[in-house]
Amino acid sequence: MSFTSVQFVVFLLLVATSYFLTPKRYRWVTLLIANYIFYFFAGPRYFIYLLATTITIYFAAVKLGDMSAKNKADFAAAKADLDKEQKKNWKANFTKRKRRVLIPAMLFNLGILAVLKYSTFVGSNLNALFERLSLGIEMPIHSFLLPLGISFYTFQSVAYLIDVYREKYEPERNLAKLALFISFFPQIVQGPIGRYNDLAEQLYRPNSFSFEKAKFGVQLMLWGAFKKLIIADRAKVIVDMVFGYPETFGGTYVAVAAFVYCIQLYGDFSGGIDIATGAAQVLGIQLEKNFLRPYLATSIPDFWRRWHISLGAWFRDYVFYPLSLSKFFMKVGKKGRQVLGNYIGKLLPVLIPQFIIFFLIGIWHGAEWKYIAFGFYNGTLIVLGILFDQPLKKLIEKLHIRTDCFSWHLFQVLRTFILVALGKIITRAPGVSASAYLMHSMVKNWNTEVLMNGGLLKLGLDTQDLWVLLFASLVLLTISLLQESGVQIREALSKQNLLFRWIIYLAAIFLLIMFGVYGLNYNASDFIYRGF
Amino acid sequence: METLLKILAELRPDVDFEENKELVDSGELDSFDIVSLVGELCEAYEIEIGAEDIIPENFNSVEAIMALVVKLQED
Repeated sequence: MSFTSVQFVVFLLLVATSYFLTPKRYRWVTLLIANYIFYFFAGPRYFIYLLATTITIYFAAVKLGDMSAKNKADFAAAKADLDKEQKKNWKANFTKRKRRVLIPAMLFNLGILAVLKYSTFVGSNLNALFERLSLGIEMPIHSFLLPLGISFYTFQSVAYLIDVYREKYEPERNLAKLALFISFFPQIVQGPIGRYNDLAEQLYRPNSFSFEKAKFGVQLMLWGAFKKLIIADRAKVIVDMVFGYPETFGGTYVAVAAFVYCIQLYGDFSGGIDIATGAAQVLGIQLEKNFLRPYLATSIPDFWRRWHISLGAWFRDYVFYPLSLSKFFMKVGKKGRQVLGNYIGKLLPVLIPQFIIFFLIGIWHGAEWKYIAFGFYNGTLIVLGILFDQPLKKLIEKLHIRTDCFSWHLFQVLRTFILVALGKIITRAPGVSASAYLMHSMVKNWNTEVLMNGGLLKLGLDTQDLWVLLFASLVLLTISLLQESGVQIREALSKQNLLFRWIIYLAAIFLLIMFGVYGLNYNASDFIYRGF
Repeated sequence: METLLKILAELRPDVDFEENKELVDSGELDSFDIVSLVGELCEAYEIEIGAEDIIPENFNSVEAIMALVVKLQED
């Protein structure tokens, strides 16, 4: 059931009606049933994976909760007789015992994800290696279809389990309630990856109908549909054309396609997130922010703080910090200071885990070499940015370049956007060598004249569609700039007169119907991030 | 407290640590700063700070950081 389909609108309407008509005590049950009906539509055979995750995470978390409660009581009783060293040993022993529960549960769930997502990639690469070494071995390769939202719900569940392990909160002792947290239908498709302490309470409490929230929710859904149907799906035509025929469209066309692909990806992903957030808001639930105008970022780290925020935060909290603060990397830092000096040595516990994170973010996007290359590209940019941060600051000072003015800010934004767009070529091209070919062609055959001589019309869109794309993108940019400067669009709109507000709403609906891209065979899989 | 203020001033001389009470929430300290800061704190106060301690509430102000240090010293 695609977020942009009529079925989804009807489904949401039915869910909202049933939810608010259900007696308050059982509203969460209605929500759980709605989640499972939604998931059932995606393919009943995938239920087994969702159930396996729910059950294993539930039992592991409850076990961890029981262990922590018992340990607290035992420790409180014994504390007075223990010296500092004994207390330390007690803590270490207990951590070891908890890990015996945490690690198998994590391996099981991340293992399912890894097998379903990466077995074909690993198998075919190993077979290629065996063939090259003439070993005469061939591994059987199975291709699996990915269950809906498996990356998202697995990450959300594992985060919950780690937080219980860290004793951040008590485990949920009602299996059905945990099932609700893991399967909330607006966000299971493509995130945002929710945190238990933010989301669960909102799902379990009986939300009352709020006209204000429902109105804001519907507005956000319309805005998301605008980004997806009017911008992203139109931009897709140009992107598919150029990246589909790299020999025909080299040179400047590659730059155009990379630029348009940035718009497509943002419209597609953030549009989907807006629809999800809006749908949740109708039910009185506020999801986490997943985007903060990423193309207005002033550096690559800033971009990653604004793009797919919930995934970045997940990797920061559950991979980056544990790695950076591990005894191993602390030792690496100490050794590094002795060998490489204070500056580099101090940075090592940050730089190496940072590189690992981007490798993981790369492969999270897909089991292909190009995603690994994308991870390394971003990791390298970030590491270089950190290493040259101080020398560059000194150089800027020496050259007396003003950094507190608009032109410098604009330069930073444009520089970041170009670096991001180059990275997008890596992920959108059919493979690593194709992206190298495209980048080479872009530089070698650069010729802006082709664009002036009607070249843009060769990219699959007619003049009207090009104007619609341009105009809609400018609307998106204007809104983004307004939001960046602190204007709250929906709040500002709600202060306008009734007539003006309705003109805006009707115009938005009219534009969506008139200019939304609806083709034959259009379905939910068209959301790019749904495939991750 | 003096040692802590000295560590923080060396780490980020551009930040007013005594005034800012939302160091993490406002984005003033990022994850790189936190890792560097934790390294310094562990060395200076002979404590162990784990990933489970890295929550905004523990790093939003000098007072919160000091409270974390004291808590870990007592543990």
